[in-house]
Amino acid sequence: MVVITAVVLGIWAIIVITGFSIGMVRTYIHTAILNEWSHIQIHRSDYFVDKALEDTIPNGFTTYQQLKKEFSNTYLSPRLLVQGMVSSPKAARGITIKAILPAAEDSTTGLSSNLVEGSYFDTDARNPMIIGQDLADKIHVSLNNRVVLTFQSYSGEITAASFRIVGLYATKDSRYDSQHIFVRQEDLKPLLGGDGLHEIAIRVPDGTDFEPIQEAIQKKYPDLDVQSYRTLSPDLVLYESTIGLTSMIMTIIVMLALIFGIVNTMMMAVLERVKELGMLMAIGMNKKRVFNMILIETLILGCIGAPIGMLVGYLTIIWTSTSGLDLSAYSAGMREFGLSDIIYPWVPSSLYWQLALAIIVTALIGSLFPAWKAIRLRPVEAIRTL
Amino acid sequence: MKPVIVTKGITKTYQPDTIPVHALRGVDLTIDEGEFVAIVGPSGSGKTTLLNIIGGLDRPSAGYIEVGGKDISKFSDNALIDFRRDHIGFVFQAYNLIPVLTALENVEFVMLLQQLPKEKRNQRAMELLHAVGLDDKVNKRPIELSGGQQQRVAVARALASKPAFVLADEPTANLDSVSTGQLLDIMANLNQEEQMTFVFSTHDQRVIDRAHRVITLEDGKIISDRKGHV
Repeated sequence: MVVITAVVLGIWAIIVITGFSIGMVRTYIHTAILNEWSHIQIHRSDYFVDKALEDTIPNGFTTYQQLKKEFSNTYLSPRLLVQGMVSSPKAARGITIKAILPAAEDSTTGLSSNLVEGSYFDTDARNPMIIGQDLADKIHVSLNNRVVLTFQSYSGEITAASFRIVGLYATKDSRYDSQHIFVRQEDLKPLLGGDGLHEIAIRVPDGTDFEPIQEAIQKKYPDLDVQSYRTLSPDLVLYESTIGLTSMIMTIIVMLALIFGIVNTMMMAVLERVKELGMLMAIGMNKKRVFNMILIETLILGCIGAPIGMLVGYLTIIWTSTSGLDLSAYSAGMREFGLSDIIYPWVPSSLYWQLALAIIVTALIGSLFPAWKAIRLRPVEAIRTL
Repeated sequence: MKPVIVTKGITKTYQPDTIPVHALRGVDLTIDEGEFVAIVGPSGSGKTTLLNIIGGLDRPSAGYIEVGGKDISKFSDNALIDFRRDHIGFVFQAYNLIPVLTALENVEFVMLLQQLPKEKRNQRAMELLHAVGLDDKVNKRPIELSGGQQQRVAVARALASKPAFVLADEPTANLDSVSTGQLLDIMANLNQEEQMTFVFSTHDQRVIDRAHRVITLEDGKIISDRKGHV
């Protein structure tokens, strides 16, 4: 019973811990894709050399319209990206100004759903702007305050303009929020003294494979950089690659603990049955059979415990992945790392097969020492322990 | 009669490197087929040690031991286990039945180790349980049987492999007089009807009274070897 309980708890722990870890990584990746990177971004081929204002996509708006027409099942947002400075009466900070088409940006990144205060460009105010809550706190401004954006125009002149804060947003990533502000393209273009797009972000609906779309666009526009979030954000690739590694490490750690549990319990089982084992050897059960008996016994215990543990773990994952694990008590800390305060645990189905195999290996390894001790018993001494 | 057990100059010394304890000091003994032998003597005289050595459960420090015409002192551990399985039946003082098996399964167990077919095992186990008067207890587990009944199952188990002889170490030590009488009757019948050889170590006068030959040990030596009362 002890071995079965240990196996059940061990398997359950692996599934839940792995599910939580993977869920956290997936939530991070999902949030980063939704808010910041989208699945695909298109830039002029040398844009990333120095991200200069003039490095716009040739015929950017036409390209945007063509893509919108051809890939109608995706969400596209054309952006003008300008490096600049935001100044309030009390502070100033370097930021990236994202000049957007509000409706397109909202469908691509869900920006309006991240508003914590104010409205989503639904205003008659001149030069409206949406700013991250974190940035607002840092430069000591609030809704309806005016700030000054300073940036370089196409002509190379330093230009400054006053914008009114009409909305405050907060994504799950406080670092992003303190570095990006959103304005309308129609307001920024006259100030820049020119037209153009630096970036077209494309988000594909959930469950759609983005890579064929990326390849098709790259083929159609060979002179443009068509990159996925995997290229643009290597840390996301690192996180993605850790999903498999995480489950493997968790499995190994818990299995190691389980091996000691099994060795301990099976040793107790052997020591409690010294008399019985001695009698079996006395009446003719050879060492090979005794050894196999302990091995098979442990395997059976493992095979009873493992499915129960898997079932309990599976149900736990199903339950928590539906309702989510609410970690809002730690939301401030989690936002620092770009993590959502609700984690949806998830495990790949392959984990269950890995676990089934791992428990067999663990049970076998765990039973070796007790089985070896059993065959070292001398029947004449074992029977004497009556 | 053909000898089934022959020992020559058997000695057994425990802890030879520290404080040596001489359990046997040169035991010469021959037991023939069909004998009903009691080995008696005070505690510490070497009865159980001699039985263990004859049964291949322990090895002598020196001397020669032949069982069924084979020198078992030279056998490897595994060969000894196989030899015990096929040639020697054991009856222990504390019955030592497997608690999770029924009486029938306990008797069948040795034959299972011999890899006999299920039908044959079952038939012989039923015959043996009938011989020890337990036809109505075949499906009972040890915990559901009295001490005397458990020891009768142990006798049936000892006979299951059709051994050359049965070794019984104080088989009646935990039994009341009625059970002791029944057990001795069964073993005496098997001895008479099937010429089965029985060797007991015992303190029990009731067993000694039924033995055909009584060997007395003292301080690891045979001090008398006489015919019994029967």
